[in-house]
Amino acid sequence: MIKVENLKKSFGDNEVLKNINAIVAPQEVVVVIGPSGSGKSTFLRCINQLETITGGHIFIEGLDTTDKKVNINKVRTEVGMVFQHFNLFPHKTVIDNIMLAPLKVRKVTKEQASQRGMELLKKVGLAEKANAYPDSLSGGQKQRVAIARALAMEPKIMLFDEPTSALDPEMVGEVLEVMKQLAKEGMTMVVVTHEMGFAKEVGDRVIFMDEGFIIEENIPSEIFDNPQQERTKAFLSKVL
Amino acid sequence: MNFRWDIIFEYAPYLLKGTILTIGLSVSSILIGTFLGLLIGLGKIMRNKVLAFPFYCYVTVFRGTPLLVQIFLIHFGIVPFFTGETNAITAGVIALSLNAAAYIAEIFRAGIQSIDKGQMEGARSLGMTHTQTMIHVVLPQAFKRMIPPLGNEFIVLLKDSSLLCVIAAPELMYWGKAMGGQYFKVWEPYLACAFIYLCLTLILSFVLNRLESRLKTE
Ligand SMILES: Nc1ncnc2c1ncn2[C@@H]1O[C@H](COP(=O)(O)OP(=O)(O)OP(=O)(O)O)[C@@H](O)[C@H]1O
Ligand SMILES: [Mg+2]
Repeated sequence: MIKVENLKKSFGDNEVLKNINAIVAPQEVVVVIGPSGSGKSTFLRCINQLETITGGHIFIEGLDTTDKKVNINKVRTEVGMVFQHFNLFPHKTVIDNIMLAPLKVRKVTKEQASQRGMELLKKVGLAEKANAYPDSLSGGQKQRVAIARALAMEPKIMLFDEPTSALDPEMVGEVLEVMKQLAKEGMTMVVVTHEMGFAKEVGDRVIFMDEGFIIEENIPSEIFDNPQQERTKAFLSKVL
Repeated sequence: MNFRWDIIFEYAPYLLKGTILTIGLSVSSILIGTFLGLLIGLGKIMRNKVLAFPFYCYVTVFRGTPLLVQIFLIHFGIVPFFTGETNAITAGVIALSLNAAAYIAEIFRAGIQSIDKGQMEGARSLGMTHTQTMIHVVLPQAFKRMIPPLGNEFIVLLKDSSLLCVIAAPELMYWGKAMGGQYFKVWEPYLACAFIYLCLTLILSFVLNRLESRLKTE
């Protein structure tokens, strides 16, 4: 589904990703963990090219999306992203947030967009908030709207960049619940998170990153109970 | 001191005519200046630095030189150069619009850049193009923030239109000067003008405040 080959990314002289190779299979949930500044967000943002990559290739469903001839906007319609700080549009209501991209990009009718939008809001448990503005929602509710907004484009892949890190502890559960549901339905997901419980329970595979490299990857039980690399052990001993 | 109300009344029709022209000059310059300012502001934030450079120069030149100098250059130099003759009202609108455009461009630039970059990323991650994101996400939010500084700029422009009396555009201040010249009086003509300008700026601020609070509650 996603194949990352020799991915490199620098900001000026600062090489943040140093030769990343990774594969994500269809319907797989890959969890990315690692210390702050290790390049997890950058890795995720390179997959949908919110960051211009410095070197390497990213294939999505076999298509080399780093090819200059590929329309990146088209690629992004297939790859949803959920951000740490939600990035909802504050001047639009919840339902308009969700409908905007389907209307403008997919060119569906208003009826279709709003019907699908309401279905998604029901799914994330926020149907009654359709006409509210984002500022009136709690953090957990905002993030659920953001997930619904990404899903409205019917993406084949979902990227999550620390979706619960900006939330009060009591709201983390409601967001993780929605994500678990998505995983169950077979969505292909790449999730950067510090929620080790989620990684163990939902992840099919865990990637541990440090200083721009993938240090170790394995099924969750192996990573958590039997880490091979010293750096993985050191990191896990701090967070578990 | 003997304040001569009678000469104010005598000049009232002219002051009224001047006020109407002042309003006309200001409103048209505000409209043209805002339109140009948006284009220049967008030009200035283009990622291609070479393309952005002319816009950068425009803003630097128009903000870095006095409006009065610009008025003379446009009235006696640029307009005659292109048309062979000149007209104070045309030259006035051009000078005020071009000058305001530079300030308005900066207001637009600052407004657009004040929008969190997460907004752009959120929309782009959904597959929207840069232009779609600007139109539907960034500009609507930026406009709201621009209203107070834009309002300020409109008030400055309205007051600066009085400078056009030096090229004999028959706006409010021109008639004030004419009145002063005819009767060798200072207080009557200039206080009358000051009072009318004050009324105009108060009305304009009122309208802008209403607009701002309307947009806030939406
Ligand atoms: N836009 C940018 N410009 C310059 N440097 C950047 C930029 N974005 C990230 N970096 C740098 O890249 C490195 C990796 O950042 P990144 O955000 O990918 O880390 P992370 O693993 O997601 O960390 P965190 O857990 O804190 O979110 C950091 O050193 C950061 O300073
Ligand atoms: Mg990060």
